[in-house]
Amino acid sequence: MTMTPDRQKVDRDEVFLEYTKSICPVCKTVIDGEVNAKDNRVFLRKRCSEHGRFEALLYSDAEMYFDSLRFNKPGTIPLETQTEVKDGCPLDCGLCPEHKQHACLGIIEVNTNCNLDCPICFADSGHQPDGFSLTMDQVEAGLDAFVRSEGEPEVVMFSGGEPSIHPEILGFMRMAAEKGVKIVNLNTNGMRLAHDRKFMKDLSELPKRPNIYMQFDGFAERTHTEIRGRDLRHAKQKALDHCAEFGLNVTLVAAVERGLNDHELGDIVRFGIKHPAVRSVAYQPVTHSGRHVEFDPMNRLTNADIVHGLADQCPEWFRESDFFPVPCCFPTCRSITYCLVDGDNVVPVPRLLQIEDYLDYVSNRVMPDMSVRGALEKLWSASATPGTEMTAEQLECATCGIDLPDALKTITDKAFMIVIQDFQDPYTLNVKQLMKCCVEEITPDGRLIPFCAYNSVGYREEVREQLSGVSVPTIVPNAAELRPVLLTTKYGSKTHGNGGGDGDGNGAADGSDHVPADATNVGKNLR
Amino acid sequence: MSVHERVGDPEVHTEAGAEDVKLCCATAYQHDAVALVLGESYHPGGLDLTRRLGRSIELRPGERVLDIASGPGTTAFLLATEFDVEVDGVDLGDLTVAKANATAASEGIADRVRFHHGDAERIPLPDASVDAIVCECAFCTFPDKKTAASEMARVLEPGGRVGITDVALDPARLDAELQTLAGWVACLADARPVAEYVELLAGAGLTVTKTEPHDDALARMIEQIDARLVAFRMAKVPALENIDFDMARERAALAARAVREGIAGYSLLVAEKG
Repeated sequence: MTMTPDRQKVDRDEVFLEYTKSICPVCKTVIDGEVNAKDNRVFLRKRCSEHGRFEALLYSDAEMYFDSLRFNKPGTIPLETQTEVKDGCPLDCGLCPEHKQHACLGIIEVNTNCNLDCPICFADSGHQPDGFSLTMDQVEAGLDAFVRSEGEPEVVMFSGGEPSIHPEILGFMRMAAEKGVKIVNLNTNGMRLAHDRKFMKDLSELPKRPNIYMQFDGFAERTHTEIRGRDLRHAKQKALDHCAEFGLNVTLVAAVERGLNDHELGDIVRFGIKHPAVRSVAYQPVTHSGRHVEFDPMNRLTNADIVHGLADQCPEWFRESDFFPVPCCFPTCRSITYCLVDGDNVVPVPRLLQIEDYLDYVSNRVMPDMSVRGALEKLWSASATPGTEMTAEQLECATCGIDLPDALKTITDKAFMIVIQDFQDPYTLNVKQLMKCCVEEITPDGRLIPFCAYNSVGYREEVREQLSGVSVPTIVPNAAELRPVLLTTKYGSKTHGNGGGDGDGNGAADGSDHVPADATNVGKNLR
Repeated sequence: MSVHERVGDPEVHTEAGAEDVKLCCATAYQHDAVALVLGESYHPGGLDLTRRLGRSIELRPGERVLDIASGPGTTAFLLATEFDVEVDGVDLGDLTVAKANATAASEGIADRVRFHHGDAERIPLPDASVDAIVCECAFCTFPDKKTAASEMARVLEPGGRVGITDVALDPARLDAELQTLAGWVACLADARPVAEYVELLAGAGLTVTKTEPHDDALARMIEQIDARLVAFRMAKVPALENIDFDMARERAALAARAVREGIAGYSLLVAEKG
């Protein structure tokens, strides 16, 4: 019997990679998800019985995604976990005993208040009268939990809101250093640094000089007005020059949005390499949590776009193969390179040795030199901070391993770091990555909540509500396809307009209006 | 790949005879300046190509393997642990052999991996004593390649396999500029086209069953040398103060050109003792 042409089997147009768990971006209920590769891009797809189907781009270069997977280091168990396993990932944060990695970096958001009201702010901060401002005791409780978990914590980052306007910020930083934290970062928009020389002097005189982690999104006026709401170019330059004057090392942190400032990647690193205070640049695709401009989840910016963008915009210095995934977290989350800089000479460190011979944990069972691997692990980690003694030592060690003589150690002063970090949002959240996250939000009640869970799952809203006593709605991404059901909150972020329950109001992938309940799709949500 | 120990001084080496080339290569690896530029255990392709070589000669657990020009032992350690074989390494450098044996002891695998001082043209092992031989980036530097090939055949069991990765170069296609380069880089001075390697091995009773190009590995290594030269110049390394960095980088650029134009390349060869 011959088969009729209309009964021919056809192949799927995508490669199925994995089945995992995620959340509904609208109601935050834990639901199943699947990851597929199509047209050399990687997507996460999921369906909520209440709110329909969702799909989002995870990585815009599938080959790069696959290649990164071997850079996956076995995790380290923290000395103490803070919660029990009850409902499963991501509802038990954290850290729960099932978490796969310790915390390389702890973030303490000391306030919700800010001296700017940027259109893009994952923390949903601003000139807000109803937020919170942590006390010394609350910060101490968080730091103590971090120390119990880590022993000697690598990095604490004070963030907000705008931490520099918290009246106790210097005391917080001093306390972190006293408790044995090796590196203290101040995550700031730089406004106070530009205008308050007394504060600069105080920062520079802290027993442990902080690293300044400063928002810096580009040079075009439009970049500033769209991302920050104001033209801050002059203030940023002044803040940086003050940092140079007072001997503070700076990481430029660029929030990058597709079609907005993704053409400025090369200019930012060129500027950073030339500026005496700047030791590193961190590029972060805009996190579509909290407050942000409308976006298309299927065409969002990913780490691969930034790697390709740097290679295209800065071909005299970089190409794609100079960037290696960070093995301590899940390798698709973060990529790093270092380069040695002397005037116009820029040499990416990966061109001096075969990084993959050391950081490929899947194929390599014997090491040419374990001490080189150890050094590279410290450099390719979430806690690496250029300009600190620790990073300089590790660069020396890595260079020792390639037989560079003592004198070469002097150029570790000239090392410049480039970090590319894609934080997950309610669309892209994949518990597989979350379970190995090494960047944690430290809360005053002594929890260490993985950053992307904090931003996506509902922890941020929960913690703000607890600390401020003011109810906070569940924040929903400002995705174009959700426009019909979104309401604007008083902070400028979006929330679901009608409490849900009326089925699929958004652009479901298949256009259907209702997705039947799924027996495996029985997750709860946090709130 | 081996660079004359006085990097950047091309005059010294151009007149060197065959014997000098060989000694130069082995001693060069013990010399800081060369180790600096090349990396202690580095050969084109790194560990990935070593692994591929091991798979190409189909190593089986328990087999006895000889590594000719074993250097600090990286290849021997990889083969012993990943392919579960016993390895004897032979190297010309006394210091290198001592260091490699010390590493084997500290890694707790000295029972399976041993290193001997020796010459590729007089391998210090009995007839028919190994199942397989690897030789990475070294055959090109042997002054008497015919003897080296017959030594390989002698120590191999009948049916034994040889895996070679090496620089392949067509001397006939070298223009004047590249001739200078060949004078400066020891292994280029005596590298041959792949067909000639095949012939040399055949002459010793070793039948080549597979050749595979890996020119990218050589290109990457040249680039690594260039990157290191830039890094050393930044560092103002005293040990390298007499180096003319600009000239050294010009040489690297020439070498890169030779690879790009297909005049120099890197090949993997597999041969069998009939």
